[in-house]
Amino acid sequence: MELLSFGDKGWGDELALAACMTLAVASCAFLLGTVFGCFGALAKLSGLRALEIAADAYTTVVRGIPELLVIYLLFFGGSGALMFVASMFGHTGYIGVNAFMTGVAAIGFVNGAYSTEAIRGAVLAVPKGQIEAAKAYGMPPWTLFRRILAPQVLRFALPSLGNVWQLCLKETALISVTGLVEIMRQATIGAGSTKKPFTFYACAAVLYLLLTTLSGIGFGRAERWAERGVRRS
Amino acid sequence: MSSPTFEVRDLHKRFGALEVLKGVSLAANDGDVISIIGASGSGKSTLLRCINMLEVPDQGEIRVAGEVIKLGNGADGKPTRPDRRQVDRMRTRLGMVFQSFNLWTHMTVLENVIEAPVHVQKRPKDECVAEAVALLDKVGIADKRDQYPVHLSGGQQQRAAIARALAMRPQVLLFDEPTSALDPELVGEVLRVIRQLALEGRTMLIVTHELNFAREVSSRAIFLHEGRVEEDGPPGEVLVAPKSERCRQFIASHY
Repeated sequence: MELLSFGDKGWGDELALAACMTLAVASCAFLLGTVFGCFGALAKLSGLRALEIAADAYTTVVRGIPELLVIYLLFFGGSGALMFVASMFGHTGYIGVNAFMTGVAAIGFVNGAYSTEAIRGAVLAVPKGQIEAAKAYGMPPWTLFRRILAPQVLRFALPSLGNVWQLCLKETALISVTGLVEIMRQATIGAGSTKKPFTFYACAAVLYLLLTTLSGIGFGRAERWAERGVRRS
Repeated sequence: MSSPTFEVRDLHKRFGALEVLKGVSLAANDGDVISIIGASGSGKSTLLRCINMLEVPDQGEIRVAGEVIKLGNGADGKPTRPDRRQVDRMRTRLGMVFQSFNLWTHMTVLENVIEAPVHVQKRPKDECVAEAVALLDKVGIADKRDQYPVHLSGGQQQRAAIARALAMRPQVLLFDEPTSALDPELVGEVLRVIRQLALEGRTMLIVTHELNFAREVSSRAIFLHEGRVEEDGPPGEVLVAPKSERCRQFIASHY
């Protein structure tokens, strides 16, 4: 138990810090993914052929390749691209990319594809008659979006977005390959230096479960709030 | 002679190869209650939806209380696009009641009623709430003000939708088959409300299949057939002793 205590001797504070890092990466990636998702859904529903094709390509490609590959592509590809640009300006030598940013970008990019589908489905689930009613009462487009469409899209999208969030949280484990010290990386470090892998990986599992369970409860509350007027109570 | 409160002239609408409206004209003076009847596919719902521009007519003219929207081909030969602000302004003067109510499900009944007055007409909220409460009382669902639409029966939902339309203080009320989606035992309560509005002298256009009701409340009846006005006159003539054979058949099949 001493092993997990806080302070110089134990790994408790390192693990707590790592959990914060996991949460930070996941939160930023989820937000970025939701922004991608909004644009993706907008493109798919735009009725413009070129935008639809681009959005379809995005969701098909991203959902069809492993997340780890996207991370490698961005991390190594990103640094390669930076070095190439730098070499055109006469700079030689290695330039790394920030592991945190790469992680957020990669996971956000991947989850954006799932969010796109979630949001697109939610927009389509809003009954057309309610949109017509808003138009029939002279509601201008922005008011219609803000007052009628957005609250209902949120309501329909929340359950799927909750899923995306959970995936997001777990996928952060993959970016340990870039050296970013989040839960997975910290557990590996701890396991290596103490020769007690089971303790550390079990600890990591508990931390992930804690995060997913707590956020699951949060999403459940949000869903109940957003579903007011939909379920017969 | 004063100009009519509401007038449409030579309205045309086609969906692809199908011309649904082939030049419909009608005018209503203050306090007129006009019933529009006709077989399904005769264009009566499309007519109502064209009047408030939920469907943009290909050609024609709509006038509501001084606002004029003209549609057709411009000087360049392309269809004119109506100005959105003008359309929105005109829509606030036309209170629409839909067949399937279309209440906003994420809002309570009261919120539904005050939504457009507060957020479209920008009237003070206190005033809108007071008016909404009075309207809900009038349609007999004052006790449901804080309920969500899903908790209401179809008849109650439609009455809430009528209150929502009235809250805009519209010059003309448009009813698109207001009782067609209701269970038979709920039709009466909605018709009672509409009848009361007719007695108050409101100008209304009612697309309906309830011929008895139409005969009783309307000051004029219009029979549409294949996108044209086939008969237009007092309900006692059009709905009882129509001149055209088609109208006669339609009415016979509805009793």
